[in-house]
Amino acid sequence: MAASRTRLGRRQLLKGGLAAMAAPMIIPSSALGLDGAVPPSERIVVGGIGIGRRGEYDLGCFLEQPDVVFAAICDVKQGRRDAVKQMADTKYGNQDCAQYRDFHELLDRKDIDAVLIATGPNWHGTASMYAAKAGKDIYCEKPCTKNIAESLILRDTMRRCGTVFQAGTQRRNLPHFAFACELARTGRLGKMKKVFAHPNGMQALMSGWLPEEPLPNPAVDDWDRYLGPAAWRPFNTKTLQDGFNFEKGGGLVGGGVLEWGSHCVDLCQWAVNDCAPPVEYNPPKDGYIVTTYADGVELIFREKDWIPLGSCPVRFEGETGWVEAGDSGKLVLSSPTLLAGRTVEEIGGYPATFHVRDFLDCVKTRGQPKGNADAACNAHIACHATNVAIALNRTVKFDNATNTFVGDDEANRMRSEALREPWRL
Amino acid sequence: MTFACRFAVALVAFLLGITSLAAEPLPSEPELLAVLRSDAPEADKAITCKRLAIKGSAAAVPDLAKLLGNERLASWARIALEAIPGPEADAALRNAAGSLSGMRLVGVINSIGVRRDAAALPMLQAKLTDADAEVAAAARHAIGSIGTTQAAAILTKAMAVPGGSLDATAQAGVVCAERLLVSGKKPEALALYDAIRKAGVAEQRVAEATRGAILARGLEGIPLLLETLRSPSPRLSNIALYAARELDDRPQAGAVDLALATEMAKPPGDAAAADRVVKIIDVLADRNADGGASDAVLQAVINSATGRAKPIRLAAIAAVGRIGNASALSPLLVSAEDADGDIALVANKALSSLAGSEVDREIVARLPKADANVLPALVRAIGNRQIAAVAELKPLVNHASDAVRTSTVAALGKVVDLPNLGILIDQVVKPSVAGDVGKKAILEASIRMPDREACAEKLAVAIDTAPAEAKVTLLDVVGEVGGTRALAAVAAAAKSNDPALQDASTRLLGKWMTPDAAPVLLELSKSFTDGKFQTRAIRGYIRVARQMALPDAERAEICRNALKIAKDPADQKTVLEILPRYPSPATLAVAKEAATMPGLEAEATAAAAAIEQKLAKPAG
Repeated sequence: MAASRTRLGRRQLLKGGLAAMAAPMIIPSSALGLDGAVPPSERIVVGGIGIGRRGEYDLGCFLEQPDVVFAAICDVKQGRRDAVKQMADTKYGNQDCAQYRDFHELLDRKDIDAVLIATGPNWHGTASMYAAKAGKDIYCEKPCTKNIAESLILRDTMRRCGTVFQAGTQRRNLPHFAFACELARTGRLGKMKKVFAHPNGMQALMSGWLPEEPLPNPAVDDWDRYLGPAAWRPFNTKTLQDGFNFEKGGGLVGGGVLEWGSHCVDLCQWAVNDCAPPVEYNPPKDGYIVTTYADGVELIFREKDWIPLGSCPVRFEGETGWVEAGDSGKLVLSSPTLLAGRTVEEIGGYPATFHVRDFLDCVKTRGQPKGNADAACNAHIACHATNVAIALNRTVKFDNATNTFVGDDEANRMRSEALREPWRL
Repeated sequence: MTFACRFAVALVAFLLGITSLAAEPLPSEPELLAVLRSDAPEADKAITCKRLAIKGSAAAVPDLAKLLGNERLASWARIALEAIPGPEADAALRNAAGSLSGMRLVGVINSIGVRRDAAALPMLQAKLTDADAEVAAAARHAIGSIGTTQAAAILTKAMAVPGGSLDATAQAGVVCAERLLVSGKKPEALALYDAIRKAGVAEQRVAEATRGAILARGLEGIPLLLETLRSPSPRLSNIALYAARELDDRPQAGAVDLALATEMAKPPGDAAAADRVVKIIDVLADRNADGGASDAVLQAVINSATGRAKPIRLAAIAAVGRIGNASALSPLLVSAEDADGDIALVANKALSSLAGSEVDREIVARLPKADANVLPALVRAIGNRQIAAVAELKPLVNHASDAVRTSTVAALGKVVDLPNLGILIDQVVKPSVAGDVGKKAILEASIRMPDREACAEKLAVAIDTAPAEAKVTLLDVVGEVGGTRALAAVAAAAKSNDPALQDASTRLLGKWMTPDAAPVLLELSKSFTDGKFQTRAIRGYIRVARQMALPDAERAEICRNALKIAKDPADQKTVLEILPRYPSPATLAVAKEAATMPGLEAEATAAAAAIEQKLAKPAG
């Protein structure tokens, strides 16, 4: 019996990929006789690629870690290169932070172990592939990919290169969200029936083509590198300044489901044990989008009916109980008995510090962080496929074995999109 | 809406920077082609290419192909050409590769790679030696993506030629080998992986090929896995750890684990080897997190939990917590009381996470025979695992050992049920342990009781008879429990003549989470004579109107009352600030009434104006 269980369990694990593996324990330096000091061999040298407003927040989380040395910044904008260099140099009291416009130069540096990629969604996936092939470990802001094909290539590339990859889904490392997901995963809500995600918008959008303006000096704002893998457009200041939204979800589909969904859907995916994404997706109706997993559990996007627990709310419903959580750090449970003696630390404001620490620990142990590439791939596919249903305004069915839509040529054509030359995955 | 109108709307949105792809039904292919053939602006043609990616057929290919040399529109045209199925698009891309150069050619080759057009291999092979390095690089990548036997042969041949592109060729080769493996050509895949490993390429490429070679071989890859694990190169050793997590052990279940466990058990020769042992333990834990570790593997990990270097012990103890069973209890109980705090901490966590009801039964069964050294760990495990063993814990509340008593009270906080809540009430009234352990335990227990009214009743009865200090503690607990009975208990305490109880109860009412506290607070704000408590009651009453979800009329009534009873101008001002936040005819009436109150005329008038302005705005 035990042997049978072993085989079954392992097959499931291997079939399901690396998503479900727990991050291993990091040995405290005190255990190594170092009294908390970080020896040079234990330091992780980090470079940044595309550090804007969100990136500066992430970088702050990296800089506060004692074992991190931030060595270089690459950005297409001179203003951002200078701001990040100042941030790092001030932290270290030197002038050592190198600046690059071309990320190949940063990736070529042998001394850099890991990169923080916070470019904006246009570059997240492509830059991650190049970094992995250069042997770097990666912390990449979300949404990490533009479409279904890119999600799969991201997963496969990280596996192939042996990369420690952490998507910027920092809620996986916040105790109340983790506890809510644990309740669902471990059967304490009964057999799962529904998981709910907040999409913050239900439109499938694509970035446009704004009127042409004179090209800036590329040494100051490198428009060609900003466009990167996106289809060509003329230079426009507004497009340059809106990196947060430019090409989010790629050219074909995108919008709120991907922006917020890559957090909320990611948590829902964790609640259902990081299983393969849903197999059926419906277009929006009355503020709801209903999708269904192979086992009948529903992943439902909804704009309303949330308990006011802050942004990024999720709700998990089983046959015997439910839990709802949001960015306030609070949980609401169908019954206090679900706490079962546990005290759940209440951390509001969705800080990324713990997620960054999880990543750094895994860089050392070579374990899988909570937002690993397998988990990110599944969650992103769920968002992209939902967007395909929105864009086509019809129900689409997805086959997780072949990663294709069933009997829907148009939907299948939306699984990927050509990258502008010379970029490739 | 006509096509022209629909298209115009879409174009305007596109030119505004963001648009919907297909909220409207997409135009037909002929309509879209008409745009491409017209002198429409580039922006129109760009979005048309995008739509042809969904709607286009072979008929669209010639028009799209004409754009492949267009610096501005080539990338848009390839979006469609990559997506349109059929040999026509393949042929168009191949033809374009014959006439284009530079970046446009790179783009076309990239698309050929994505489409995995094997017919393009001869052309791509020729491009490997193109004078333009970008073109050659694109060709290498495309050949790898096509991933056929012929592609493998081309890449293998290219790797035999020394030069600067060797590393990029190897990178394409690894992808090619993956594709071969997926298509059932394992011997060819293995040959390519092994050729790359020996080609003198960058270590990262060797690592990728080695992972592929291990996984492709299955169980026959175990020797290579172990050899790579022992590599002095961190990159190679790390890729082996990655592969070790992925390697499927069918058809011989447990073979990979056993090999890893044997490797783990070897005495490490140096610090690097010791670090490797720690990482192998983590791999074993990951591979067996479903509880399926064989006895031999589990025993090997348990053995590493004692008598080895501390980092290895820590990793092993943590791993036992993830993969162990009841057989691991004894060593974990010993480690849980280790003099080294790090070891003890990890062991206690491991005791909490060991899977299985058998573990629960064994922990409880050991209680009667356990001595005072082991009892605290057992008791902590009962609490952390939430084992229903109140009867077994109850006598230990009065155990001679302070450590046992303390851990027992804490554990009861996690497991006690309502009928036995009295045990923890007693710990507040007559504590057997020092500090606030008892208070924390009863608080933890009370807030998780499913019937909070019954829980509050029990606490309220206890408050009545408890000594003064304990009354306040129990009042705090009942305040956290909440509900109707709890509110009545706190209200009663507020109405007592005991200043300590009045202090505690007004503090609790000031942060009450439900609006049913409003009548209590109103009554108290009228009846208190002490200024401090009266102020608290008034402010608590105002807080209900400010923060809680209420019907308009109810909120307005609270504001009306508050304006009458509040003596502090700051409190009155707060009320006037609340009114426009909840604009309704009811709050408007209150604001207008307030405008007649001395000293409030100006601010109340402004509040009324703000409400009227908000009410005048159409919804949405």
